[in-house]
Amino acid sequence: MKSLNIPTFLPRLKVLNREQALAIHQAALEILEKTGFKMEHPDAHQMLVDAGGKVTNDGRLTLPAYLVEEALKTTPKQIALYDQKGNKTMPLVDGNPFYGTGSDATFTLDLETGQRRRAVLKDVANFARLVDNLENISFAMSMANPDDVPVEDIYVYVFAEMIKNINKPIVFIADSGRDIAKIYEIACLVAGGEEEFQKKPFMLNYSEAISPLRFPQNVMEKLIFCARKKIPICLPSGSNAGGGAPITIAGAMALGIAENLVGLAVHQLTNKGAPFLFGPNVSTLDMKSTVVSYGCPEWSLSQSALADMRDEMYGLPTWAYAGASDAKVMDAQAGAEAMFSIITAMLSRSNLIHDVGFLEYGNTSSLEMVTMANELVAMSRFFTEGIPVNEGTLALDVIERVATGGPGSIFLTDDHTFDYFREAQFLPQLLDRSRYDSWKEAGAMDLYTVCNTEAKRILSEHQVEPKTDEVLNEVDRILKGR
Amino acid sequence: MGEYKALNGAVLKGDINTATAEMQKAIDADKNVQDIIDNGLIAAMDEVGERFSKGLLFVPQMLRAAKTMQECMKLIEPLLQKGDVTPKGKVLIGTVRGDLHDIGKNLVSMMMESAGFMITDLGVDVPPEKFVQKAQEVEPDIVAMSALLSTTMPAMPQTIEALGKAGLRAKVKVMIGGAPVTENYAHEIRADAYASDAGSAVSKAKKLLGIS
Repeated sequence: MKSLNIPTFLPRLKVLNREQALAIHQAALEILEKTGFKMEHPDAHQMLVDAGGKVTNDGRLTLPAYLVEEALKTTPKQIALYDQKGNKTMPLVDGNPFYGTGSDATFTLDLETGQRRRAVLKDVANFARLVDNLENISFAMSMANPDDVPVEDIYVYVFAEMIKNINKPIVFIADSGRDIAKIYEIACLVAGGEEEFQKKPFMLNYSEAISPLRFPQNVMEKLIFCARKKIPICLPSGSNAGGGAPITIAGAMALGIAENLVGLAVHQLTNKGAPFLFGPNVSTLDMKSTVVSYGCPEWSLSQSALADMRDEMYGLPTWAYAGASDAKVMDAQAGAEAMFSIITAMLSRSNLIHDVGFLEYGNTSSLEMVTMANELVAMSRFFTEGIPVNEGTLALDVIERVATGGPGSIFLTDDHTFDYFREAQFLPQLLDRSRYDSWKEAGAMDLYTVCNTEAKRILSEHQVEPKTDEVLNEVDRILKGR
Repeated sequence: MGEYKALNGAVLKGDINTATAEMQKAIDADKNVQDIIDNGLIAAMDEVGERFSKGLLFVPQMLRAAKTMQECMKLIEPLLQKGDVTPKGKVLIGTVRGDLHDIGKNLVSMMMESAGFMITDLGVDVPPEKFVQKAQEVEPDIVAMSALLSTTMPAMPQTIEALGKAGLRAKVKVMIGGAPVTENYAHEIRADAYASDAGSAVSKAKKLLGIS
C-alpha cells in the first residue's frame, strides 16, 4: 500500500445556508435603519450622530448600513486571551472553542449537604479553584452573586476573589464605569502594569444592552471604558425568543445582531481596532414558566447559526453558552441538556462558551455540574477531532499479523494496541464503564455522587499558584477604597 | 357560567371576534353590567388561570384570553357609571430605581389586570419618591416592585422606607419579585410577600387582600 497523506476531516455542524445568513444580516441592518434604538448615553449618542446616525422625531437613533459595515471592518478578527501568567491560552479565532463557567447565580448546590442555598463569596473562590484545576474548562466567571459583600461593590469583590483563586483567564461583570475602573486597576496590578495588561489581556467583560433596542447609560460607560483600555468585551442583549425578542429564532437573531452592531459601532468609533467578541444571547422564553431556558435546543441552534454567520461574513469570534440545564438537581435532564449544548457548540466551533455548570435556568450553580462538564467537553473534543486515516491507523500490517498469528494471537497483546490506545480511544475519567459487580462494590455511585466526590477531592488538594503579597495587599487596599 | 357559555368559551379560546359579538349581544339584551363582567368575563379568566396553573395552557394563550377580555371591556366601559364595578384591589407596580428591565413586571401587570385588579403601572427606573407620590394619589392596596439586577435591589427597602416616612406603610401591602429576589430577602426588608413568577404574583396578591 502506498504511503497515505490524507488530511483529517473535522466534523462540523452547519445550520444556515449563505442566503439565510445574508437575509438575517440584512434584517439586522434594516432594524437599525428604520426602527432605530434608544441610546441613553449622551456621548455615545453624539458620537453616532456625528458619524452619520439620524435622530428620529421621538428621540430614537437610526444608523445607516455603511456605519456598521465600517465598524465590522475595523474590528479585529481574532482576540487573544492570556492567562494571568502571560501565556496565550485562549486564541479566540475560527475553529477554537473554549468553555468556561457563568456568572451571578443567586443560589448554589451546597457541596456538603446537596441543598440549594443562597450563594456567598466563598462559592466564587471554590468555583474559581475548581476551574483552575479542570483541564477542559478554560476560563472562569463568578458563578455566584454573593449576598455577603457590599452590594455597591459586589463585582469588585467577586473579581478580587477570582484573582486570588485562579490563574486562568476571567470573564467579568461590572455595574458601571465606576466599578469597572476599580476592576481594571486590580487587573493591571496582576499583570504588572497597564502596558503589560494591554499586551496580554487576561480578562473579558460581559455587559448587556436591553432588548428590544435600548442602551442604558451605565452599560455604555462600560463599553466605552473597555474600548479605550482595549479590554476585550462582548455586549449581548437579552434578545431571547418570546421575551426581549420575537418568538421566532430568525427575528430574535436579527434583533440581537442589530443590538450587537450598535454596540460595535460605538465601540469602534471610540477606539478603532479594540477587541470585541460578537454575539447576542438568543435563548427562548419558556411558554409555561416564562423562564429563559438554559437547556433548550433553540439556544444551541441560534448560536450555531451565529457561527455560520461568522464563517459567511462577520469573521469575528463569537460568544456562546453550553453545559447548563433547566433541571433543579444534577439529574438525567441536567446531563442530557448539558451534553446537547456542549457538543453542538463545539461542532459549530463557537469560540467563547460560557455558563458551564448552571442548573435551574442559570439560577443555581453546581460544582458537580462543572466537574461533569469537564468530562463531556473532553468527550465532545474526541468526537470533533474526527478519524485520522493513515497507514498507522488503518493498521493493515497489524490485521495481517493477528489474523495469521495462530492461536493466542489477539489485538490486545499486539504492540500496536499499546502504542495507539491513548490516542485512538476516549478514556473517561468519571463516566462509569465498570462491570456491575465492581460498580456495586465501589459504592454503586451515580454520576452526581462521582462528580461530588471528585469536586471535593480537587478543592481539598488543588493548590492555586498564589499572587504575590504585594499584589494581594494592593487588592485589599482597593477593596477598602483607600 | 351557563348563561354566558358562548362568551366564556370565546374568552377562553382568545377568539376576539366571537367574544366581542357575544358581549354586544349581552349588552343589547340589557343584562346587568356587573353580572356580565363577573359571570361572562372574570369567570372565564378564572378558568384560564386554573388551566394555566395546571400546565394546560401556554402563556400566549393566556395573554390572548386577557386581551380578549380587555376588548370586551371596551364595549362596556362607556356604559359604566363610576362605582358600578368594584375591582378586586388596586395595585401600584413598577421596576425600581436604576433598573430598566420590564418584561417580568409587564407580565405581572397583565395577569393581575386580567384577574380583576386595577393596575397603575409606573414603568421602569421608578424612584422611591415616585412610588410614594403615586401611592398618595391612587391609594393602592398593594405596592408591587420588580428588579432584575442585584445592584438595584437596595432600591426596594429604600422604597419601603419612603412609604413608611410618608405614613403609607400600614395602608399598603408590599410585594416584590425579580430574578435575584428571594423569599428571604422579602423577609429581610419586611416586604409582605415575594412572588417567583407572574402566576404566583396573582395568587399572592389575592392572599394578601384576603380574597379568593
